[in-house]
Amino acid sequence: MASVLSLEHLGKQLPTQQHTWLFSDITVDIASPEITLIMGKSGQGKSTLLRLLGLLDTADDGTIRHLGKTPTEWGPEKWRMSVSYVAQQPVMLPGSVEDNLRAVSRLHKRPFETELARTWMEAVGLGEMDWSKQAAQLSGGERQRVALVRSLLLHPTVLLLDEVTASLDTISKRATEELLVDLHRREGTTLLWITHDWEQARAVGQRIWFLAGGRLLEDSPADRFFEGPQTQEAQEFLSAHLVQKEDAPCLP
Amino acid sequence: MSSMSLWFSFTFVVIALLLSMWQKLGLEKEIAIGTVRCAVQLLAIGYVLQFVFHTDHPIYQALVIAMMIGVASWNASRRGDGLPGILWRVTASLTVTATLTMSLLLVLGLIKPTPQYLIPITGMIIGNSMIVAGLFLSHMKRETETARGEIEALLCLGANKKQAIHGVLKRAVKASMIPTFDTMKTIGLVQLPGTMTGMIIAGANPLEAVRYQILIMFAFSSSAAISAALISALAYSSWFTRESMLRP
Repeated sequence: MASVLSLEHLGKQLPTQQHTWLFSDITVDIASPEITLIMGKSGQGKSTLLRLLGLLDTADDGTIRHLGKTPTEWGPEKWRMSVSYVAQQPVMLPGSVEDNLRAVSRLHKRPFETELARTWMEAVGLGEMDWSKQAAQLSGGERQRVALVRSLLLHPTVLLLDEVTASLDTISKRATEELLVDLHRREGTTLLWITHDWEQARAVGQRIWFLAGGRLLEDSPADRFFEGPQTQEAQEFLSAHLVQKEDAPCLP
Repeated sequence: MSSMSLWFSFTFVVIALLLSMWQKLGLEKEIAIGTVRCAVQLLAIGYVLQFVFHTDHPIYQALVIAMMIGVASWNASRRGDGLPGILWRVTASLTVTATLTMSLLLVLGLIKPTPQYLIPITGMIIGNSMIVAGLFLSHMKRETETARGEIEALLCLGANKKQAIHGVLKRAVKASMIPTFDTMKTIGLVQLPGTMTGMIIAGANPLEAVRYQILIMFAFSSSAAISAALISALAYSSWFTRESMLRP
């Protein structure tokens, strides 16, 4: 059976400096549905990588395939419906919360799954939200969750999550993580998830991609990555985090 | 108007030059170039029109109109600099707008099919459509940048190019048409427009002149709508790559 997602020698140059690679030669394969967390320092091209997979940016090298077919074979709209990107800075569409939730139904002339939308809104801690509220008035965290539910209603095969819990409080973050993990278990959705949140990576990640120096340095099962990373860069990255954690003030 | 009077009219340019020098605006070069170009272009078109009216051959009329469309398209398409194929898209919309509007004016018997009517009125229609197309492109450029997040959010939900840019397109079409309708609202109260002024100066009855001006303004409203609709339908895809990605 064809891989859910495969990347072959994928590379992207810096937009401002031609012939300087942000990252290059990324070859990796997601054979079956799983939760992959992408980690690495800022500026390594993690978001750009997700944008390439979500067909929002063009790669300068390499090819990508989803279920054995290239984006051209899928057609851009079909690809994006199956491999959906959720941005770090969520953008609300003009109108109310309901208008946003109904976006997929409106675009693709599908019946609106009211009950499912309500269940998922509740799951991310927005059960009490007034759907007639103007989306522009929502807080950052509310926008992030509404944008996530809006994308979930597409029922994509792969969700590209760009730090989607970054502006959430701990309770909302845990609730969102639970929803996404549950979705993976029930519907077999593959999650490709950028995070800087260590606990999150350990709690939900089945596999870790570690990006550094313009390369995909590690592609390991999560347990193995956290217990004994293969590369020196990953070891330094992990130890820097541990130092940071030990230095953090302990609250009574 | 005698040639001597025409020379005297340069007094107004001299006033502008003196003011620029006095206020140290540094506009002397611009004023000089503008003055020379204005005089040369108008005199040239005067001779061309005299020749075309005299020969009364359709091929010359078509050539004059083609030149107008060419210059207007080049001018408007500069607002969409960097967009692939924008020149032919603007040219097509201006050509279709002029053809449709003029056909309607002729079929309804509102103007006579003579070069004295066809050329100036077509020129005005093309000129107005050029402004509409130019405004549309400027607004689209600005709006697409502002609404980049909104467009990409829709693309991520599987929207096609047209669905993704629809909101921006609507705002740009509206903004490009507003000046035409604003002019219609204040015309006669704020400014006396060209056709009417020209006819009155040439000795026509003011009421007859007003009738023609009304005709022109109504024709402008339809040509503004047609050109905005056409340019938006033809140009929106220029903001995307072949893979339906929003251009950087």
